[in-house]
Amino acid sequence: MVDRSRGGAEPGPRRRGQGELEAQVLGVLRGAAEPVPVAWVQERLGGGLAYTTVITILTRLHAKGAVARERAGRSFVWTAVADEAGLAALRMRKVLDAETDREAVLASFVTALSPNDERLLRELLADVPEEAPGEGED
Amino acid sequence: MGVFVFLPLVLPLTAWPVARLAEQRLHPRTATRLLTAVAGVLAVCSTLCLGLLVIVGTAQLPGNPLPDGWSDPEVRAAVPYDEVAGRAAIPALLAVLLSCAWAAWRHARVRRRAVAALAGLPAGPVAVLPDPDPYAYALPGRHDRVVVSAGMLAGLKAAERRALFAHERAHLTGRHHRHLLVVHLAARANPFLRPLRTAVTYTAERWADEDAAIAVGSRRTVARAIGKAALMSRAPLSVTLPAFAAAGPVPRRVAALMRPAPAGRAWPSAFTAAGLAVWGAAAGATVSALSSANSAVTLFAILRAATPM
Repeated sequence: MVDRSRGGAEPGPRRRGQGELEAQVLGVLRGAAEPVPVAWVQERLGGGLAYTTVITILTRLHAKGAVARERAGRSFVWTAVADEAGLAALRMRKVLDAETDREAVLASFVTALSPNDERLLRELLADVPEEAPGEGED
Repeated sequence: MGVFVFLPLVLPLTAWPVARLAEQRLHPRTATRLLTAVAGVLAVCSTLCLGLLVIVGTAQLPGNPLPDGWSDPEVRAAVPYDEVAGRAAIPALLAVLLSCAWAAWRHARVRRRAVAALAGLPAGPVAVLPDPDPYAYALPGRHDRVVVSAGMLAGLKAAERRALFAHERAHLTGRHHRHLLVVHLAARANPFLRPLRTAVTYTAERWADEDAAIAVGSRRTVARAIGKAALMSRAPLSVTLPAFAAAGPVPRRVAALMRPAPAGRAWPSAFTAAGLAVWGAAAGATVSALSSANSAVTLFAILRAATPM
C-alpha cells in the first residue's frame, strides 16, 4: 500500500490516515440498506472529503475484497461485504503474506514444524492429558 | 594495533558454544538479556574494527580523500596487515551497513503496516481478526496490541486461550521485540553472530512461555496451547530449509514446559556449565571491546601524529 496523493484528494480538516478513512467509508456503507452510489457515501462521511477521494477509497476497498459494486446506469453502486474487523483481517493478511521472513520482525506464537518436529510434538502432547483435573480450566 | 584489529572480527566465533550453553542452562530471561547484550557489544566492536581497517585501506588508494600524511611509508609500517585486509574491508563494511539499514527499514515498515492494518478497529489491548488461518502476534507500538485470528482461538480451549494471551502480553511487557531487533542487526553485522540470533529468538519465546505459565498457573496448559497452535498452523516448510534431525524450537519449548520451572535469580558459579556460559560470554565481549578500543586508540594516535597540523 503506497500512499499516493491523487489530484483532488483534499485532506479533511483533520488529517486522517488512509486506514482510518477506509474503515470510515466501510462503516458508512454498512449502514446502507441497499447498494448506494458514491455521492451517498460522500454526503454521510462529512469532513469535506472530495468525490474523487471517496471513489479512490472505494476502489481500494474493492481491490481488497471488502466491498462489492454493480453497474447502475452510467456509474456503480456499492455494498459492503466485510465489516471493520474483516477489513482489518484482509489488510493484516496482506502484511503477513508480503513478508517471507516475518519471524524476523513479528514474534509469532509458534513457528513452522518439520515432519520430525510434528512427530515429536504429538508424542509430547500425548503425555499432557487434555483436561488435567484441577488445572488450567478455570 | 596489529592483531588486535582482527580479534573482534573473529571473537564472535565464541558465541556458538556460549549460545548453546546459555539457552540450555540459564533461565530464559537471563539468557535473553545476556545473549542480546553480548551480541550487541560484539557487533559494535566488529563493525568498529572493520571501519578502522577501511581507514587504513582507503589511505593506500591513490586519489583518496584522506589527508596525504596518512599514506606515508612510516604510517604504513606502523599499521601492519594493511595490504589486502584494508581493501577487502571496504566492500565488507559497505555490505554490513547496507544490510543493517535494509533490515532496520524493513522492520519499521512491517510494524507500520501492521499498525495501519488495524486502524479503524475499536481501541483495545486485543484485536481478534475474522481469519480462518490460525495466527497470533504481539504488535508493539504506541498502543501495544495482541493480534489473534479467529481461526487460532477456535482451536483452543478457554484456558489455552488465556495461556496464548498471557504469552503475547509477556512479549509486550518484556519489550522482547527490542532484543530481537538487536540480535537480527548483530547477525547482519557479523555472520559469526548468527547462532546468537537463533538462540535469542528461542529464549525470548521461552521467556514468554515461562511468564505465561506463572500468569495462568499451569505449565501444562501453556504446553498444550503451544502444541495445539503449532499443529494447527502447520505451514509447509520452505524447501530452502534443510531438514534438521534435531528437534525444532516448538517441541523443545513444549518439552521445557513439562519439566519443572527453571531456577531464576542467582547468577551461577563459574564451575558449572551455566557459569561457563555466563563468564565465557562476558570474557568474549570484554576482550572484543578491549581489542577494538586498543585498535581505535592506536590508529587514532598514529594518524594524529601523521596528520600535518
